[in-house]
Amino acid sequence: MGTLENRYTLTQSQKMMVFILSMSLYGLSNMITELVPSAYLGPIEFSIEYFAFIPLTLCILFHPLYAAIGASLGEVIFGEIMLGQFGGFGELEKFIAFSLAMYVAGTFVRDPRNRKQVAIAAILGVIIHQAISTMVDILKVWVGVEELEAVPGLAESVVVIEGFSFLNDVLFSGILFALLPTVYLVPRLYGKIEPLLGMKPRDRNDRYSLTEIIGPRLIVTGILLAASAFLFEFLSEAGFNVEWEADFLEMFGDWFIYVSLGVALIVAVITIAVMLNKKKNTTNNEKEEKAS
Amino acid sequence: MEYTRKFTEKLSVEQVKIELLNTAYGNGNTFFASLDPRTLFIWYAYFGIFPWFIHDVKVLIGMFVFMLITTYMAKISPLIIVILCLGLLGQGGYLLIFSLFFGGNWSVMLPLLVLTVKLSVISLASITVFCSMNPEKLSNGLLKIGLPGQVSFSIAYGYRMLPTLLEEYHHVFQSFRLRGKAPAKHGFLYIKSIAYFVKLAMLSFYPLLLSTAKRARTTVEALETKGSMYGFNHPEVKKLKLAGLKMKKRDYYFLTGSFLYVICLFILL
Repeated sequence: MGTLENRYTLTQSQKMMVFILSMSLYGLSNMITELVPSAYLGPIEFSIEYFAFIPLTLCILFHPLYAAIGASLGEVIFGEIMLGQFGGFGELEKFIAFSLAMYVAGTFVRDPRNRKQVAIAAILGVIIHQAISTMVDILKVWVGVEELEAVPGLAESVVVIEGFSFLNDVLFSGILFALLPTVYLVPRLYGKIEPLLGMKPRDRNDRYSLTEIIGPRLIVTGILLAASAFLFEFLSEAGFNVEWEADFLEMFGDWFIYVSLGVALIVAVITIAVMLNKKKNTTNNEKEEKAS
Repeated sequence: MEYTRKFTEKLSVEQVKIELLNTAYGNGNTFFASLDPRTLFIWYAYFGIFPWFIHDVKVLIGMFVFMLITTYMAKISPLIIVILCLGLLGQGGYLLIFSLFFGGNWSVMLPLLVLTVKLSVISLASITVFCSMNPEKLSNGLLKIGLPGQVSFSIAYGYRMLPTLLEEYHHVFQSFRLRGKAPAKHGFLYIKSIAYFVKLAMLSFYPLLLSTAKRARTTVEALETKGSMYGFNHPEVKKLKLAGLKMKKRDYYFLTGSFLYVICLFILL
């Protein structure tokens, strides 16, 4: 194994352990937060959005990629499928956004004993996640409502509501349920929980190999492209209304919908293919490494 | 104390477990439960995406009617439907209030209604599909359409482990309560009691993190001895495991029927 560069590598079963640990714990916490009622103060909702400190802690202590994916999968399985609230494609967006945010937060921390780094990473993870989901929510209304411009007040109100809930989530849930518990837990668990999984604690000299970071980066570009596809769809609905005659507009609008759909599909297919390929490669490499 | 009592009642462990098993295995004899998971995925792939791009009100209403029929056929529990309706109404209502505030008028209603219809078509489709598959079927179906074996394993593992985990969490939580001191006064709007319970709920994860770590290790070791790691991603093992999945006549009838219905909607309306 690549001990020369001090790279943080795990065996297949250690990865699986991290994955299962993060999945079951975050799933459990999700189920609890789903069951706890939320308090309303006018339009402001004071609820336990999620116990983000669990995946954050695990991403900081262990390999961030597996902990992040495990946590998102746990959310989908325990919090959605088991409670009969699975949303299908809507969950895909949550899955990607959440794993990405947690992964970035995990890679940000070089030394788990440094409280400042842990704190910044925790709040960073929450901000990334909430920013992505806010953007997606706004886009959803923009795509779903035809002639948004023609309806006065709707566009502003969507942005205001979503922006407000973004701030609420980051400042309220973010600090109470992500920042404080993570700063409390990480130094306490460091060095204690790793031996239980049969691995050594993360060192400050450990680096993640570059190939693992390229994967999520590809996904981000995928999301951006898909978002632009949605934007195209929105433009084709709202922007061209004024300039073109009705017949032509319909043809053009239809065309654009298919183009944007096609782009989104192609992007999705390419991303999945690349990810699958990468995975195959890494597993092959590992096998060779194990064999040798 | 009233609030906390409600809180603990809701968290009654037995209740949660029963509820879970009910949603998982409750409706095994509906028409949808007898379909192949792939059929359901294909069906959902259409009704979960395309409504976003349809702005024709009549077509949307036609789809909505179709979804109502399928939801009725799938015998979804009324609780889930109520939750869905509340969510949809809540979102639409807030948007309406805010846009009135920003100088809109009642003409805002129509586009919002269209959006609500759209959202309900999509969510009803997902409820129909995913509530009528039991976990076994869902995980097999996901494996069949090419998701890695870890995902389908996780679903099975989740259903198996969750009751144990919940119980353990409950124990830790109760022992924290036994040893700790609850606030003497509830404070304004029960704020002190709520803060106390939320803090306990988070602290309880500290022991749980350690014990779940141990359990994860045991699980993986057991998986290794059974050779499951090998089985996850090897096509021959998969083939053997999924030999029971077959597209039957009724699958094709169902898909053709839905397809014809949608075509009719586009042509006739």
